[in-house]
Amino acid sequence: MKLAGHPQPAGDARTDRDLVYAARDGVTEAFDALFYRYRDGIFRLGLAITKDPSAADEIVIDTFARAHRALARLEPDDSLRPWLYRVAVNLSYNRRPRKNVVLSSLDDAADEALANEEGSPPNVAEQAELRRLVLGAVDELGPKHRLVVVLHYLNGLNLTEIAQVVDCPIGTVKSRLHYALRRLRTHLAAHPELGIEPSRPLLATGLRGRRPITAPVPLEDE
Amino acid sequence: MKLFARGCGLSQLPYTARAEDLSIRDRFEIEAHAATCPECAAALREVHSVDAALRSAFAPLRERRATLAPGRVRLALNSRRVERSTLFRLPRVFGRLAEVSVMVGVTLFVIGGSVEYPQSVAPQQPRSIIQDYFRKQPPTDEIDYFRWLRLNRTESAMVVSDPVRFPDGGRYDFDLVEPVRAPTASPR
Repeated sequence: MKLAGHPQPAGDARTDRDLVYAARDGVTEAFDALFYRYRDGIFRLGLAITKDPSAADEIVIDTFARAHRALARLEPDDSLRPWLYRVAVNLSYNRRPRKNVVLSSLDDAADEALANEEGSPPNVAEQAELRRLVLGAVDELGPKHRLVVVLHYLNGLNLTEIAQVVDCPIGTVKSRLHYALRRLRTHLAAHPELGIEPSRPLLATGLRGRRPITAPVPLEDE
Repeated sequence: MKLFARGCGLSQLPYTARAEDLSIRDRFEIEAHAATCPECAAALREVHSVDAALRSAFAPLRERRATLAPGRVRLALNSRRVERSTLFRLPRVFGRLAEVSVMVGVTLFVIGGSVEYPQSVAPQQPRSIIQDYFRKQPPTDEIDYFRWLRLNRTESAMVVSDPVRFPDGGRYDFDLVEPVRAPTASPR
């Protein structure tokens, strides 16, 4: 989406490393290219944590201001993304809403996006309700587990990048994601409209035995 | 003897496999393992539905975009640079200090109520005989002399005639002066 008031440059094919070195030499366009490359992702991350669009805007500005000041000592191997997201996560947690302040949640933002969606009103309303349920369940996770889910499903980071962002071993990230998905599954199974089967104890269903499974769900099914 | 079933050691793998950048070989191995391990097959089936729900729920949020321009970052950097400069901050501090001083002075004056020196603490100067002597001497200058006369009135000078004039026998004790009009050219 291009905005009339903010002309965006065409996608720069240079790597982050090249852009950082160019920006270090004072090339303004290189820093602008980095800004446009990561602006939206950082905005979404800030919005997911703070739930405040204006705070998310400030987080984007502060993150890139810090990046600009750190250009001299920045040594990105190939991607600047984990470093920027780490700064954004820290800034977002500093600006988290207080307990008494009521701000729009993730599902409000989803409703806003759904307002532009095409389709019959009942279908749109049904989709909005399902999304509200899922995002409400994500909101109920603990901050560490929610952050992993948001970084993966909202920002599209893989486990290695998430480990760099949250500054912990990749095994910890796997454990957190595993816990979060199991918790979400338990929570969402209470809503049959989502089509998620309630988890049954394996021993009770007889799955513990060495009976072969006929049709396991393939990983690449999308 | 096992008291509790420990389960498959790879049961966490199906949950995290979708988030990892696995090669085709790794994916094939996981699916092959799930074909023989019921626990991992169940986990793979479970995570599939949750994963689909999450991807669907986050899809509209992934379309949200910021409306910021890089100029905002440069503005933030410049404003911070100006704020940090001591040379720019110093005159502002002194100006503010002067303003506050004036405000405090005006406030104290309003509360105090007068610019005069308080009588209770006025210094009592000793009376000088020499100054008294010279004060009694008439000045030589004409203007100063009249001023001296006015300020040093004696008792005789203070006596004035009775200000209330009463009529005496139907007439006042002085003749009223009739105003005399000049003859006019009026025909009457």
